[in-house]
Amino acid sequence: MSAELLDAGPVTQARAALESPTSTLPQLLRALAVLEREPAQRTVRLGVSAAVTVDLLGIHLRRHGLLAGTRLEVFQGNHDDPIGDVERFVADGVDHLVLLPFFDDLLPSLEAQLPGLPESTVDALEDRVRLRYRLALERAGGMAAVFVGGFHRSGAPADVSGRDVVAVAVDRFNAALREEVARFPNTRFLDTEDVLAAVGRAAAFDPRFWFRAKAPYTGTYLDELARRVTAAARGFGAHYLKVLALDCDGTLWGGVLGEDGPHGIALDPHDHPGNVFWRVQHLIAGLRRQGVVLCLVTKNNPEDVDEVFAGHPGMVLRDEDLVVKKVGWADKPSSIRELAAELGVGLDSIAFLDDSSFECEAVRQQLPMVTTVQVPSVLSDYPRVLGRLAELLVAGGVTDESRDKTEQYRRRARAQALQAQAVDHESYLRSLQLTVELRRDERADAPRVSELSQKSNQFNLTTRRYGVADVERLMGSDRHTVYSLVVGDRFGSAGLTGAVVVRWDADVADVESFFLSCRVLGRGIETAIWPLVVADAVGRGARELRASFLPTAKNAQVAEFYDRLGLRLDTASEDGARTYSVGTADFTTPVPEWIEMTHAG
Amino acid sequence: MLDEKALQELLGTVLEVDPATVGPATDMDTVESWDSLRHMMLVLALEEEFGVQIPDEDAGSITSYPLIKLVLGDLLSARA
Repeated sequence: MSAELLDAGPVTQARAALESPTSTLPQLLRALAVLEREPAQRTVRLGVSAAVTVDLLGIHLRRHGLLAGTRLEVFQGNHDDPIGDVERFVADGVDHLVLLPFFDDLLPSLEAQLPGLPESTVDALEDRVRLRYRLALERAGGMAAVFVGGFHRSGAPADVSGRDVVAVAVDRFNAALREEVARFPNTRFLDTEDVLAAVGRAAAFDPRFWFRAKAPYTGTYLDELARRVTAAARGFGAHYLKVLALDCDGTLWGGVLGEDGPHGIALDPHDHPGNVFWRVQHLIAGLRRQGVVLCLVTKNNPEDVDEVFAGHPGMVLRDEDLVVKKVGWADKPSSIRELAAELGVGLDSIAFLDDSSFECEAVRQQLPMVTTVQVPSVLSDYPRVLGRLAELLVAGGVTDESRDKTEQYRRRARAQALQAQAVDHESYLRSLQLTVELRRDERADAPRVSELSQKSNQFNLTTRRYGVADVERLMGSDRHTVYSLVVGDRFGSAGLTGAVVVRWDADVADVESFFLSCRVLGRGIETAIWPLVVADAVGRGARELRASFLPTAKNAQVAEFYDRLGLRLDTASEDGARTYSVGTADFTTPVPEWIEMTHAG
Repeated sequence: MLDEKALQELLGTVLEVDPATVGPATDMDTVESWDSLRHMMLVLALEEEFGVQIPDEDAGSITSYPLIKLVLGDLLSARA
């Protein structure tokens, strides 16, 4: 940070830290803490639901949100539970959503196992992706804006042609996801393959946290993703740019028209620097075709400018591309004000492009609501700078071109076939062919049960942590049973993902612990196991099942779990702890029909 | 040389606790907010703040202030 900034106030410093691409994570955290204490013009609740761990994304979204003028309250979803996440977000009043699937984790290490998978499994996976995201997006139908990240590969192809089975499958799954997205007018698809291309594969992934914590991405990748989400969301409602006001000399062509004459300006597609301006004019013409309103704000003689637009062979833009022309000698802030009045738009809908520092500064100072962009002094950088401006102008809108594409996607046969099926959450769950195996006192499970008791925070009713020796002791004791749950579906086994510890006390079965990995939430597994546990209790002569909930900072989502399960609330203490009971003969909650229960031990 | 004050500041920022309370007793079991996700952020923050690369085998195990100090101290003196 420069000495000048160190003298500035903490808010200015914090803002500079957010703007700087080289800020470290601690610097960003401190800057966010400072700026989020300031009064905000606009606060937006945004939910992130991802198939992998992306907590850093929240920080980068808050960064880009603040830079655009919006304070974000970020809600993180559970692990890979888009449908459940959206339901919770809606209940929490979240109105912006980012959904991120992850290709390599659709099945464990999918990219590695794909070459050996039968086609029918890949078909079934595609169906599952479609149904899950369709159901999630349906539930998000009332939100202001939803962004769905596409699939990308995480490993490099060994085949130099790049067209290996992974590339083909990623394309196919992206086409499917785009079709699902196209059904929902509030939802946009985000091309994550291009995010990856922009930051580079080596800079995008951190394998250390992938295997350890299912967190594949670096801050660099997530920052670029957040930047794009923010642009696509128009700064979460902070701006809605519709008009591009253009200077002429040094902006649409090289040189000065008034001095060099219409034949002296640089605009030749085959020569430098004319080729830069020629390219830029094509980019600007493309913006017009996507619905951006083009105007001129230039200090020139009107007849000179008209001559260039009418007859210069290098001109791409023509008079009919321009909606309003402010050509003359008035100062530019005044011209832009007039322009806004004539078009009937707010100044905050206008972007202004000019090469002169003097003009840019004048507009920035007098009309800070106008988005002012200066042509870079390094001319080769100009197309990139214009590209960034183009994002602000069109990233938020559905354009005619992409509307055509949307139609194409809609026509695709596979979606039609699926559409014919009546789809609701239950038939989706049924299509998964869920199985739950409940094992009793299985010694081999002790290490995993212990580990899960240490790690489960959200779905953990009493948060008792057990060491491996504790679990083994409980398993060996007549007074206790440790149930471990192995969850599977048509795609394979999710492994040991939960446990119940019951203490048998004369005619009472006391549930000491119940915890589940968040990987398997939202499928009814949490209720499916209880009929079997109760049957065991009856077999042991227990007439009553007792259970309790002990609150922690993280397990609020299960505060009412036993109510939902159909137990009677006996006591509720001030600290939030609750105790429950039910007669074993009165417990009637069934196994959900989409789950097949088995038991062993 | 490890700047211990900077380290305490950093833990305070990432874990959202008062830096003055960060000391030998600070570990994953005593700090409510220090869960596995926060831990990842902490490792990344340490790397960026101190300009080191924490090896895979250490990244998962530096779950207390004394351990962080130890590993970071080693990395910094190896670099010097």
